[in-house]
Amino acid sequence: MSWEDAAPGEREAGERSWRVVRSAYEERIPSPRPRPRWPVVALVAALAIVAAVLSPPGMAVLGKVRDAVREPNARPAVFSLPTAGRLLVESDKGVWVVQRDGSKRLLGGYHDASWSPNGRFLAAVHGAELRAIEPDGTIHWTLGRRGGPRVPTWSDASPPCCRIAYRAGTAVRVINGDGTDDRAWQVREAPVTPAWRPGTHELATVGANGTLALGDVDRDVPRLSFPVPMPFELLWTGDGRRLLVVGGSSIGTYSPRGRLLRPLPFGGVAAAVAPRDHRLAVVRALAGGRSEVRLVDTDRGTSRILFSGVGEFGDAAWSPDGRWLVLAWDSADQWLFLRTAQPRRVIAVAHIAASFGGHPRIAGWCCP
Amino acid sequence: MGSGGDERAWIRGAQAGSASALEALFRHHWPNAYRAAYLVVRDAAGAEDIAQEAFLAAVRNLDRFDRRRPFGPWLHRIVVNRAIDWARARTLRREVGDAPLEAVAAAPPGGNPHAHDLAEGLAALSPEHRAVIVLRHLLEYTPSEIAELLGLPRGTVNSRLRRGLDELQDRLGEDLR
Repeated sequence: MSWEDAAPGEREAGERSWRVVRSAYEERIPSPRPRPRWPVVALVAALAIVAAVLSPPGMAVLGKVRDAVREPNARPAVFSLPTAGRLLVESDKGVWVVQRDGSKRLLGGYHDASWSPNGRFLAAVHGAELRAIEPDGTIHWTLGRRGGPRVPTWSDASPPCCRIAYRAGTAVRVINGDGTDDRAWQVREAPVTPAWRPGTHELATVGANGTLALGDVDRDVPRLSFPVPMPFELLWTGDGRRLLVVGGSSIGTYSPRGRLLRPLPFGGVAAAVAPRDHRLAVVRALAGGRSEVRLVDTDRGTSRILFSGVGEFGDAAWSPDGRWLVLAWDSADQWLFLRTAQPRRVIAVAHIAASFGGHPRIAGWCCP
Repeated sequence: MGSGGDERAWIRGAQAGSASALEALFRHHWPNAYRAAYLVVRDAAGAEDIAQEAFLAAVRNLDRFDRRRPFGPWLHRIVVNRAIDWARARTLRREVGDAPLEAVAAAPPGGNPHAHDLAEGLAALSPEHRAVIVLRHLLEYTPSEIAELLGLPRGTVNSRLRRGLDELQDRLGEDLR
């Protein structure tokens, strides 16, 4: 016996994977930057900083763009949420449901959880099973799937309510919300979570070859397919009018007919869409060990910094009313609740890993 | 196999936008990443997903990667931890009695008979034991390095290695230590 023998399928899998990795890489390569004209750049930057500091929004933001590595006045635990809704959190221990008053329940052994449209149920993975459960852990149905299902997400269309898309191996499958009619939708997919268009049963998926497919899962085939730069995330804006193909260095904005409307010249490491409108929060890792979260108006293509700090940011999620964003500041072991409208406000909560267990991740913030 | 200098040059090139440098890095590390995942999960599709996602994570974090550090341990940490999670998920399914599906999952892999033997021998071990053996004997990390990669005490790594190798030796009839 030798440890140096190739494993079954090694070469073919390598060729397939190289194509996927190369696509992702080509998407992330930054555009070449022109040689800077330093005196002009420095003057413009100085004027911009002065203007920003003197404007009210600038004062609110720049107050947070210091070299802070954590918020010094953070609360020691999640005592309450700043607005209505319930948070879904995942950690090494399982899935946590956090109520508005800060009380929380652990659903042990679960991962990859997502809310149903009205927050009555969760779809989550337990071992190799996809399960629909109530937030108190009551199981409604289960489905075993070889290799383990992953990243189930609910459509919010009704009637009929609802559909759940999930990944199984390299396929994307769909099952009705009542646990019936499990079927394959696309079979050779890139490792990107599919995205439901709000108010419909239309699902966007990305194939391993970089082709985006879009269609109603109650029909036999997608209605539309077109090549896109390999994203790490697919999202629909909350109003269902824009499909966002989020890459490491740019974000493609597409119409529901597949027309490229406006590429945004930056990407991110995580992104979240606001409910019911066209705002997008993008978490970005910057040079020099800094991170920022930027609010994007996807209709206008404009953006502004909401918060910046030293270290690594993780996931973000919008509150159900669209007024708050919760941001994981992973390197500080803190969460920040950021009010996105005026007057700006930041509520920091510390000791997140101690509260929820290792590797906590914000999985969603749902309905009151 | 490339030297540490080659690897630093590939990473520097990939960070600067060279797809050929990234390809050299990928082709250098793919075999061990895939084999490690395969030997832990014993499923070709699962191993492909795990290794591919590890490389995609590398691409996403390329700009932040410190090229003075070796790339292999960073990649292998992701591969092996994901493979352990994947294998645990399959074990849980076995506990809930999904026998027909398990029979499909455990079908003997085609191709290389040596890989088959080794994979069959490792299959009797827990995912955690498989992982430390793969890290030690395929990827050639020291017990201290394995402890750091998996976030375990060194004593735990040593005991898992000892127990796992004893069992593997019984099954394969070869001295692996």
